Amino acid sequence: MNRRSVTRDILLGLIPIALLVAIWQGTVSFGLAPATLFPPPGLVFMRMAQQLTSASFDQEILATLFRLFAGFSIAVVLGIAIGLAAAVSPAVNAAVRPIVRVLAPLPKVALYPALLLLLGFGHESKITLVAADALFPILLSTYYGASSVEQKLIWSAMAAGTPPREILFKVVLPAAAPSILTGCRIGLVISCIVVFLAEMITSTDGLGHVLITAARTFQAVDMFVPLITISLLGLILNGLLQAARSYLLRGFPEV
Amino acid sequence: MTLRALIARLAPLLACLGLLAIWQVAALVLNNDSFPTALDSIRAIPAILGDKEALINILASLRRMAIGFGVAVLVSIPLGLLMGRSRGVASFFNPLLMVIYPVPKAALMPIIMLWLGVGDLSKTLVIFLGVSLPVIYHSFEGAKAVEEKMMWSGAAMGLSAAERLIRIVLPAALPEILTGCRTGLVLALITMVTSEMIARQSGAGNILFNALDMGQYDTVYAMIVIIGAMGICLDAAFERMRERLVRWSEPQFDIPLSFS
Repeated sequence: MNRRSVTRDILLGLIPIALLVAIWQGTVSFGLAPATLFPPPGLVFMRMAQQLTSASFDQEILATLFRLFAGFSIAVVLGIAIGLAAAVSPAVNAAVRPIVRVLAPLPKVALYPALLLLLGFGHESKITLVAADALFPILLSTYYGASSVEQKLIWSAMAAGTPPREILFKVVLPAAAPSILTGCRIGLVISCIVVFLAEMITSTDGLGHVLITAARTFQAVDMFVPLITISLLGLILNGLLQAARSYLLRGFPEV
Repeated sequence: MTLRALIARLAPLLACLGLLAIWQVAALVLNNDSFPTALDSIRAIPAILGDKEALINILASLRRMAIGFGVAVLVSIPLGLLMGRSRGVASFFNPLLMVIYPVPKAALMPIIMLWLGVGDLSKTLVIFLGVSLPVIYHSFEGAKAVEEKMMWSGAAMGLSAAERLIRIVLPAALPEILTGCRTGLVLALITMVTSEMIARQSGAGNILFNALDMGQYDTVYAMIVIIGAMGICLDAAFERMRERLVRWSEPQFDIPLSFS
């Protein structure tokens, strides 16, 4: 792939995004939608720049980020641990598999009222919801990654005299790393979405709460700002994870 | 062996019963007003399902979900296949999809409500948005992985580009597409509940959160059980259909190898 075709691809990709913004601007300019319901893009981005520099808005972002990371970290630790255990031990596998089969398709948002009643309206219920939602993609991809490790690798490690416990950390975990990181990426995007939704349902701070407050007072501009902020956060975190992935997986054949 | 096969078959059911048993014990131990036992919650289910209005609400939810899911699948599969087969189409849509991907779709609800009202249209639209992305992505990946040689043989036998897409790419990508649809199905249910919870007008999510606001804890937990059962049943039904359609492909659930 030469540089010119890459440039062409990027330009081609910018067309729909530019078109979308143009339609957005056009709808407002030609008076098809009242500016109070559908603020022009310029106004939204100006408001966003203004909000990002204000301390109170940064507080909301920090609250959201804290819940996001707490929930996501719990999901990563539990997901990798359970996934590895299920791949390694048949007994754990027999117990975990049916439970995962039942719990994975369950819409976790429906559990949120129960979590609210049990854990209260603070951080705990939201973190638990984020962890519950991000857990399954990480768990499943760890399990698939670890159970498709080449048997020859394990046999050679055994033949070289590596004790079983060390095989887990020296052979299986690195070999499953690409799959685990893919699962983490899916889990991260899900965490972003879920933390926002949880804050929309009941919260006193966070980006989701900003959106709901704006919706209740019909401030259309302020409704766009938290939405764009959480999407940007998602993109940035995704990019960071991608960078971590290419660092961790250096030396792997194309992943 | 038959006994083992029977146990393997009943395992999800046993897991359900086990989880309910854990819930029952936990509720008895905590002995909290806002945490009724599993039995109490299940006893409240017939009252909900027997209530005509609640039943209409739940059916309305399911109808919206089916329409949103159906339209999303019909639009996303051709788009994903085209993206997988043509570089131009892929580079046209990829950045846009990448930008839309981390947007919480249900969070668009308040904005869409301003334009389209609180009716069926905005809720179905949100479900459509939520379902289409994973289906597009998996169709794209599936179509990209089709072997070039098969396309060449198809072309050599005189199939037109459109025919090749339907006769070669679609069946070859079907396992991957169905994986996407399965993810989409769960997402549709999640988006449905969330959208109804934000636009409290009708539907299963509305019953759930109204009961929470009014402190009818039995109803809250009974609705959770109903929505959860809906998710599990839809997923199991879809899995069964998938097994029929792509019996020829490698099974997804492998027996894990162990080295103990």
